[in-house]
Amino acid sequence: MKRVTQIFAMVLALIFMASTTSQAQSKNKVRKMEYNSQYNYEVATVAVGVDGTKLVKVWGYGPDPEEATRNAKELGIACAIFRGFPPASNGAAAKTPPIVTDSDAAEKNMAFFETFFAPGGKYLQYVNLSTDAPPSGEDRIKVNKKTYKVGVVLSIAFDELRKDLEKEGIARKLDAGF
Amino acid sequence: MKSIISGLFIIALALNSFGQAKKPTIMVVPSDRLCISKGYSMTFDNQGSQQTLPDYKKAFQNDGDLRMVISKMSGMMADRGFPLKDLEQEMKNLANEAAEASMIASTSSGSAIAESPIDVLKRTAKADIIMDLDFEIKQMGPKKYIVFTLNGLDAYTSKNVASASGSGQPSSAATPEILLEEAVLSYMDEFNGRLMTHFTDMFANGREVKILVKTFANAGITLEDEYDLKGTTDMLSIHIEDWIAGHTVQGRFSLSDGTATMMRFEQVRIAMEIERNGKMRAQDTRMFVNELSKFLRENCQIESKVYLRGLGEAWLIVGEK
Repeated sequence: MKRVTQIFAMVLALIFMASTTSQAQSKNKVRKMEYNSQYNYEVATVAVGVDGTKLVKVWGYGPDPEEATRNAKELGIACAIFRGFPPASNGAAAKTPPIVTDSDAAEKNMAFFETFFAPGGKYLQYVNLSTDAPPSGEDRIKVNKKTYKVGVVLSIAFDELRKDLEKEGIARKLDAGF
Repeated sequence: MKSIISGLFIIALALNSFGQAKKPTIMVVPSDRLCISKGYSMTFDNQGSQQTLPDYKKAFQNDGDLRMVISKMSGMMADRGFPLKDLEQEMKNLANEAAEASMIASTSSGSAIAESPIDVLKRTAKADIIMDLDFEIKQMGPKKYIVFTLNGLDAYTSKNVASASGSGQPSSAATPEILLEEAVLSYMDEFNGRLMTHFTDMFANGREVKILVKTFANAGITLEDEYDLKGTTDMLSIHIEDWIAGHTVQGRFSLSDGTATMMRFEQVRIAMEIERNGKMRAQDTRMFVNELSKFLRENCQIESKVYLRGLGEAWLIVGEK
C-alpha cells in the first residue's frame, strides 16, 4: 500500500511539473507574441506639445536600456501613424487620431515602412527625446535576465510626419478628392 | 515618337476627365451661449416675446480671446487644405456689397440692379460646415482651467459631423491665453480626425443632402394627381420618389414628410460627381434637382422651379417656372 502511495505521489508530481513547464513556455510564447505584435503599444500622452508636436511617454523593450530606448522611439512613431495617442489621464491633452486611417496601410506600403523603420531610418527625423539622460528609477525595469523595459518621454513632430506621409500618398489628405 | 505623343495626349485627356468634388466651405461661428454669456447680444421684441440673439460684430470688436482662438484654428485648418471663411470679414464684405449694389446704375438707362426680396434675404454669411465654438475659462480655487467645445455642423442636414470637447488641466501658472492656445492645439486633431471620417463616408456613400418638393399655389397641380409614366399610372409624388430612389447612391434616402403639396426628402445620398458633356463634373444638390425637374418636364409635361439653398439643399417648386 505504501509503495502504491509513493508511485501515485510521484506521478502527481510529474504531472504538476509538466503542466508548470508548459505554462511557463506558453507564458513566454504569449509574451514574445505580444512584444512582436503590431498592435502592442504602451503609450500615454503627457501634455499638449508645442505647435505641431505631441508629447508622449512610450515604453520600449530591448536587451539593454539603449536598445529599449531605440525601440521606444520606433514604437512612438508607429503609434502616431497607425493607432494614434490616447487622451492624457489628467485632462492635459485630448486624444490624437492616427495619421493613417486605412487599416491595411502597413501591408499595402510594406516596402516603404521597411525602409522607413530600418535602423537609422527616416523615422528618427520625427522623434526627439525630451531628456538626454538614460531612463532610470521607475522608468527602467529589468523584466528578466535578457530584457529591459524603459519609459521614455518623446516629443514627436506629428504635423511634419503627417505632411510627409501625405506627400508619399500613404496618408489621406483632409481635402483629398475636393 | 508618334505613339509617345498620342500616349501623352490620351493620359492628358484622361486626367482632364477626372472631376473634383465640390469643396465645402467652413466657417467658425462663436456659439450663442458664448456670445450671450459675455454680453455680445441684442434683444428685440418679436411680436410680444423678447428674443435674444448673438451680436457677432460686437463679439469680434471686443473679445481678443475669441479672435486669438479663431486665428489659431484658421491657421491649423488652412494647413490641412481648408482655409476657413472668416465671419468678421464676410460680414464686412456683405455690408459693402449691399452699399455698392444700391449705388450701381446702368450708363444707358440709369437702371438699378434687379434685386428680388429673396436676393436681399440671401445676403447673409453662409458656410456649408459651421464650426460652432464655445469655451469658458473656469476657476477652481487659485487654479484656472478651460472648458472647450467645438461642433462641426452640416448647415443643411443640421447633423453634427465632427466634434471635440473636454476640460483642460487646472493650472495656477498659465495665463488664459496659454490655456486657450493649448485647448485649440489639443482638440483640433481630434476634430479633424472626425471630419476626415465624415469626408471618407461622403466619398464612399455620396453627399448627404436635403430636398424639398413644393407646389405653386396658382398652378392647379397637387402631388396626389395621377400621371401615366411608361404604362404605370401613379401619383406624382410616387413618380418623384421612384426617380429619387433610382438616382441616389444605393437608393439611399428617406421621405420624412409628405402631403398633397409638399414632400420633404432627408438623408438623400447624391453622387459626388456626375457626367456632363462627356466629362465628370462635381455635383451639388441644385444639379441633382435640376435633373428631376427635366424628368418631370419630359415625362409629365410639368414645369418646375429649382431653388438653391446651398451646396446641400435645394427646393423643387412644381407647377410653374
